[in-house]
Amino acid sequence: MQNIIPRRIYDFLKNLPPFHLIAEEDLLSLAKKVVVQYKKKDEVVFKQGESPSPYFYLVHEGAIHLIDNESPEKTLVDKYDEGDLFGIRPLLATENYALTAVANEESLLYAFRIRDFKEIWVHYPKVTLYLASTFAADARSKSVELDMEVNQVKIDKNTLKETHLIEIQAFNKGKAPVCCSPNTSIKESAKIMSQNEVGSIIIINELNHPLGIVTDKDFRHKVVTGNYDLDEPISTIMSSPVVTALPGLSMADAQIKMIQQKIHHLCLTEDGSPSSKVVGVVSEHDLMVLQGTDPGIIIREIERSTEVSQLIKLRERAENLLENYLKRQVSISFISNIISEINDALIVRSLEISVQKAGPLKFNGKEVSFCWLGLGSEGRKEQLLRTDQDNALVFEDVVEENYETAKAYFLELATQTTQILKECGFDFCPAEMMARNPKWCLSLSEWKKQFSKWIMEPTPQAVLNSAIFFDFRPIYGNENLSNALSRHIFNEMEHQSLFISYLAKSAVERPPLLTFFRNFVVEKSGEHKDEFDIKGRAMMPLADAARVLILNEKMQGINNTIHRFEKLAELDPANKELFEQAIDSYELFMRYRALHGLENQDSGRYFNPMILNKIERLNLRNSFRPIGALQTLIATRFQLAYLR
Amino acid sequence: MDFFNFYKNKRKEETIPDFWKEYLSSFEHMPSKKDSIEKIRFVCFDTETTGLQISSDQILSIGAVGIENWTIDISESFECILDQEYEATEENISIHGLLPKLRNHSISETMALKSFLAYIKNSVLVGHHVAFDIGMINKSLYGMTGQKLKLRNQAIDTLNLAKRLFPLGYHFRAEELSLDQLAKENKISLSGRHTASGDAYITAILFLKLLSKLQKRGNYTLGSLLRTKF
Repeated sequence: MQNIIPRRIYDFLKNLPPFHLIAEEDLLSLAKKVVVQYKKKDEVVFKQGESPSPYFYLVHEGAIHLIDNESPEKTLVDKYDEGDLFGIRPLLATENYALTAVANEESLLYAFRIRDFKEIWVHYPKVTLYLASTFAADARSKSVELDMEVNQVKIDKNTLKETHLIEIQAFNKGKAPVCCSPNTSIKESAKIMSQNEVGSIIIINELNHPLGIVTDKDFRHKVVTGNYDLDEPISTIMSSPVVTALPGLSMADAQIKMIQQKIHHLCLTEDGSPSSKVVGVVSEHDLMVLQGTDPGIIIREIERSTEVSQLIKLRERAENLLENYLKRQVSISFISNIISEINDALIVRSLEISVQKAGPLKFNGKEVSFCWLGLGSEGRKEQLLRTDQDNALVFEDVVEENYETAKAYFLELATQTTQILKECGFDFCPAEMMARNPKWCLSLSEWKKQFSKWIMEPTPQAVLNSAIFFDFRPIYGNENLSNALSRHIFNEMEHQSLFISYLAKSAVERPPLLTFFRNFVVEKSGEHKDEFDIKGRAMMPLADAARVLILNEKMQGINNTIHRFEKLAELDPANKELFEQAIDSYELFMRYRALHGLENQDSGRYFNPMILNKIERLNLRNSFRPIGALQTLIATRFQLAYLR
Repeated sequence: MDFFNFYKNKRKEETIPDFWKEYLSSFEHMPSKKDSIEKIRFVCFDTETTGLQISSDQILSIGAVGIENWTIDISESFECILDQEYEATEENISIHGLLPKLRNHSISETMALKSFLAYIKNSVLVGHHVAFDIGMINKSLYGMTGQKLKLRNQAIDTLNLAKRLFPLGYHFRAEELSLDQLAKENKISLSGRHTASGDAYITAILFLKLLSKLQKRGNYTLGSLLRTKF
């Protein structure tokens, strides 16, 4: 026997989840037992309330709709197209069908006998898991594990060999630390370092607790310059205290810690604190070697740049970094953290360059401070690709006669800065939501008035603005200004509880997509006709939901959508699972957007759904589920029915 | 001597083989022309042959799938490769890809024909250029038994169904009704094409799709499908 027909069916199945998890031999034997069913348009496959059939189904061609016949409007609950499984209820539970399945067009189905399938699936727990999570879409822990599985299919063979994602490779002990006592002479410690071929030495007390660290750099800067005598104790030149961490810390955490503390070495101690035994040391160089790239260096070079042309090149390097991270399936929260740090450094440097050019603004010898605010995705630290600029500027209040001068000064500063950012690839915001716009370059009291107005008179435009402006974050300058503004906003909202209801209303205005589909929800006209708007249709509904819910909890200072959901999960354990699902979904959307953006060399907001493969579609489809649930939660919590 | 005895004597040298009796017995109930399509068992089949001459060429393999009530049960499909004595020519190898090594799994022509008949019984046969495949089977039956045994099954040519849907000359040219073209137009993958089973399966899916299109024009019974003139 050549098994030509089963082969043909096998070929169709082998790349589809969960069949891709089944070994060739078993899958082929399953293919031999498939029953191919032709369904005419509008033909019923199974009926609501009917006792389970001995089969479950896979759409080979066509489309099947699942309809709730008992609902008054005969609601369309789900759609299945090529490669989708449906009717798996009898496989998992001996219950009658909960919905009716109808062919929405001429369809060919592969029906699998449940009996045959059960013989095989005992050997494949992941298949069972997959089916269970498809069946019960709320099984979060399961779907996460599955996503990993599913994702692996896309990774090329080289990376598949790695059992751990690079960024979570843990440093158990780091390198064995080279240590000496504080009384060791500088000369002696230099000798120890060169004998051990290390670039750093940890100074420890009699209990082996770290007191300080000396690196090559200290020798260059302090010793070689002749400022210290070689016979002096090493403690005179050490940096102290040492930044310590727990062994087992991930590469990602090490990286972030180094960037935040502006250091190049981390000392690992038994309990992670400086008052326990030293067990190892991790240098930035170690990280670099492990990763092959180094965001820390990009940031440092940005900080040192004096020319805009250098900044442009460095930002380009960050893009390569991003691509690398995405390809290696590094976690999204790590990537967005790193990219935000790079973008922040770039904005800071652009401002420094502009400030230097303009010179400080002083009245009566006193400098007028200001704060640069990142808005929108920049404010939320969610920017992966370079999108349009959204920023604003708040400056210290000045006496009336100086106001015009101050405003003109800061507008010029903002114009210069936004220009530099544009050259670095951040396009101007088409709606001019930028600090160079006189409307968004205001003194603190003007900003307070502006926010009060939005809160007290929630016009549709005000609500729209609030979605962008409420996620502001200080990036450069006097943070007291930004903090004062935040406090003001929260006070105002206390007095105007209706505002949050308006915010809630706008958060549920975009209904969730029913499903990601061949006959996809795409833009109907315009430049992006037939493309899918992942930002508008998938990400904004989640970001909006997170914002309104966190504002309602009166939590200040949490801007990031993922952090917001994390906090919400903590505050509202009853809905913990939903918030966790939302996090998974948001991360997945961010990843897809970045991947498609890199591919198309644009912001990634729109892409053609036809380029998605089956697994991507499935992944995305599962990720739409929390949107509807969150919107229902918001509608109930804010009793939106009354507002409409 | 009455007629009956004459018949008996005439058959002395030509005894009817058991397998053929068995086959004929299935026709005690012929599918009725008034039967609705759902009640009928169709068998879509295809033969791969050494060439296109019924008189001189040989069957290399037979593939078939059954259709009942718009459903194909893959586990009930039929596939066999026949022992060959002919010399493999490059030409037919390149068409069918049936290399000599595949014949490890082959069975004798007698076995193949017997099991094919047992498989099809009284089903309505379906094929693309079905007359050719029936001709090949009949000729092989003659070669095997020395008797003019001919298939009794009703047969439907998917080519005819296609012509009914897409009248030639107006929009379509003859070559556009080839199995390849029709499969393409109906979004049927050509995987397994030029193997008997592959073609039988492609034909089966094509048959279902054409049938469904025809049904939109009225309630088709077997009789209306068997008509070749329209």
